[in-house]
Amino acid sequence: MLPDPLGLIRDAADGAERLGRVLIGQPRIRLAVTGLTRAGKTVFLTSLLANLLAAGRGHRTLPALESAAGGRLRAVRPVPAGIEGLPRFDVSAHLAALAADPPAWPARTEDLSTLALTLELDRAGMLGGLLGRRLLTLELLDYPGEWLLDLPMLGQGYAAWSAAALARLRRGAAAEAVGAFLAFAGALPQEAPAEDSLIRRGHGLYRAALLACRDQLGYRFLQPGRVLNPGPRGETPVFWFFPLPHPVRGDLAALMARRHAAYVEAQRVEFFEPFFRRFDRQAVLVDVLGALHAGPAAFADTAEAIAAIAGALRYGGGWLDRLTGAGVARVAFVATKADHVPARQRDALAALLGHLVAAPQERVGTAGVATSVHTLASIRCTEDAVATLEGRPVAAVRGVLPGGRVAKVYPGEIPLRPPEPGFWEHGFFEMPEFQPPRLDPAGAAGVPHLGLDALLAALIGDVL
Amino acid sequence: MSATPPEGGPRGPRVILEEPAPSTPRLDFGWEQAVVPVAAARPPGRWSGLGRVVAGAALLGLGLAALDAANFVADQFTRGPLQGWATLGVVVGGFGLLAAGAWTELRGLASIRAVDHARAAFARGELEAARAEALRWAGGIAEAAPLQPALREAGSVAELRALLEAGPLRALEARSAALGRAAAVQSFAVTAISPSPGLDVLVFTWRGVRLVRQVAALHGLRPGFAGTWALLRRTLADAAMVAATDVAVDAAARALLSNRLLEQFAGDAAAGAVAARRMLRLAKVAAEACRIVPPD
Ligand SMILES: Nc1nc2c(ncn2[C@@H]2O[C@H](COP(=O)(O)OP(=O)(O)OP(=O)(O)O)[C@@H](O)[C@H]2O)c(=O)[nH]1
Ligand SMILES: [Mg+2]
Repeated sequence: MLPDPLGLIRDAADGAERLGRVLIGQPRIRLAVTGLTRAGKTVFLTSLLANLLAAGRGHRTLPALESAAGGRLRAVRPVPAGIEGLPRFDVSAHLAALAADPPAWPARTEDLSTLALTLELDRAGMLGGLLGRRLLTLELLDYPGEWLLDLPMLGQGYAAWSAAALARLRRGAAAEAVGAFLAFAGALPQEAPAEDSLIRRGHGLYRAALLACRDQLGYRFLQPGRVLNPGPRGETPVFWFFPLPHPVRGDLAALMARRHAAYVEAQRVEFFEPFFRRFDRQAVLVDVLGALHAGPAAFADTAEAIAAIAGALRYGGGWLDRLTGAGVARVAFVATKADHVPARQRDALAALLGHLVAAPQERVGTAGVATSVHTLASIRCTEDAVATLEGRPVAAVRGVLPGGRVAKVYPGEIPLRPPEPGFWEHGFFEMPEFQPPRLDPAGAAGVPHLGLDALLAALIGDVL
Repeated sequence: MSATPPEGGPRGPRVILEEPAPSTPRLDFGWEQAVVPVAAARPPGRWSGLGRVVAGAALLGLGLAALDAANFVADQFTRGPLQGWATLGVVVGGFGLLAAGAWTELRGLASIRAVDHARAAFARGELEAARAEALRWAGGIAEAAPLQPALREAGSVAELRALLEAGPLRALEARSAALGRAAAVQSFAVTAISPSPGLDVLVFTWRGVRLVRQVAALHGLRPGFAGTWALLRRTLADAAMVAATDVAVDAAARALLSNRLLEQFAGDAAAGAVAARRMLRLAKVAAEACRIVPPD
């Protein structure tokens, strides 16, 4: 495929700006946080911002990052609002809700929001004092996880998408809503008319099927993302398309194809071009435990979704990228909610994540990007405990459940690699939602976490 | 919520509810105490390659010159006491001037570092450190000296800040702006009549450096050469941060340039208008770089 010339010019201008910023000691780093829905993006950003702001006030809440910065971090401030047309990520509202009594986790994200931080650092070296401080700007974005799955749609025509989407949907046929849509689609004649009420019914069934896949079966590879999470404007007719078994002939297929193309184009222009065309670092958040406990199909589906997203992102490494200075420097794969397992099982969690993301990690690695695998609890909600099961002591975690009941949770044995089907014979399991610990509503001293500092050191330690 | 344990063997995950406690506790990791501010250890200063080259050259030059001079003085004493004493006087005077110059430079740099320390103390909300810095600073500035008792009594960093901002800092800002206006008018005039753009750049640079030094002196800093360089760097870095269209600067520029006489020029002296505007902005940014209280 020929690279588009406008994009190239933009890349070159971007590269020049970046070089200029590095020369005057004010680099700008865009950290792309990707994660499927419920992976923990919003909580991660809240904890990251709260802890970085606290570190800027001198609190030792991120020791590994401090030592990566050689103790030269002097101040951290949010970049003052300019003329952005997007909402700002509201850290203090999220923190206040988490600290309130009873506490509330952030709701599902429904719109884009951004925030940038300026990290003020002393320069290293004896002559550093002459040059003044370095100012590192860190750009962050929060968005609904469902939208990320539109990324693999960018390179696909309607017919190809239709076939792939139907094939994936058939794996969830056990669910009633999915069966209903499949029956509807199967009954459509080859050259179905583009009749409005028919389309609305099809769309309604399709959306119900996707919702069932997401909420009952724990699947993540569901397209188009805006049907699940339409965003602040609500639904518009461009969302009213669904996969067809005969996607080529007939008025209905033609209309579906037009809507599909318009939808993909809109997502490209509004979401991907501005935010994911270029980024410097990436944190891929994965709810490994959630996928594991949802069963073999959901586990495989999550792996497939992550691989498809990585396959659609640009990591640089080509000669054109080198010429324009595009490309990603570091990618970290992160198993979130690591406080759901006791400390001694976290290595197993990391190993399992390593297997889950083997394909994307290899693709990113061949582009010359440094990768690493981490476990992280953005907000630590449990402490390690010992439970007795069938007369045997087992390592468990202890936390507070939503009603205020204290409970120990034994998360099962975490396998080191994707397990055999026999692993799931006890049935599936849903991890209860723990209450966050006692927090300062203003977050002045940061937020308890596990491994956030090591993750940040791996992601941005080299530019500090 | 499927908080119920599934059936199955001992390997399956499960939830074990504890007896309900009288109060509903939340876990407390004592994060507040665990992260009490600890003075960040400054890393041992690393010598960069360039730093070592400069230091080596300086050591060679100065050390050899000193040894040479000592030998020469000894030689002169063998010739006669008068020659000896005269030479010694010359050598001591020369090295003394060098040392005094270096001392001034270091002081200038240190005064700029002190601004950084004060800002850091304010940014981190460390009351005692901020108070000490503010008092030290106020001691050296006529506008701020009367404020010292109030600063000593201030009960919070916000209060300290408000005291400084309402009084001396506002006055200093106004005086910096006045300096900026003078520089703007001068550079406008020079650019309007000067024959070559190259000359414009020279004049602008010279006037800009002078303006930054004037503003620094106003804020109690006496930057030497190295200090001026550091300050300029910082000012330029800040200038890059300031929004390209600055309402205050625009208004000031319009007020300055709407003078009858200047309007005569303004048609063919757009470059002059740009230079004037830049001077105004430079004054503003330089004043911000010298403030002991961080912005916003
Ligand atoms: N115990 C624990 N739970 C977490 C942690 N991070 C996230 N969670 C849980 O995971 C849920 C989802 O987290 P979010 O950050 O809202 O997920 P998201 O990726 O923003 O999801 P979307 O907005 O739907 O894309 C939260 O409501 C929490 O219950 C963590 O560090 N520890
Ligand atoms: Mg979210």
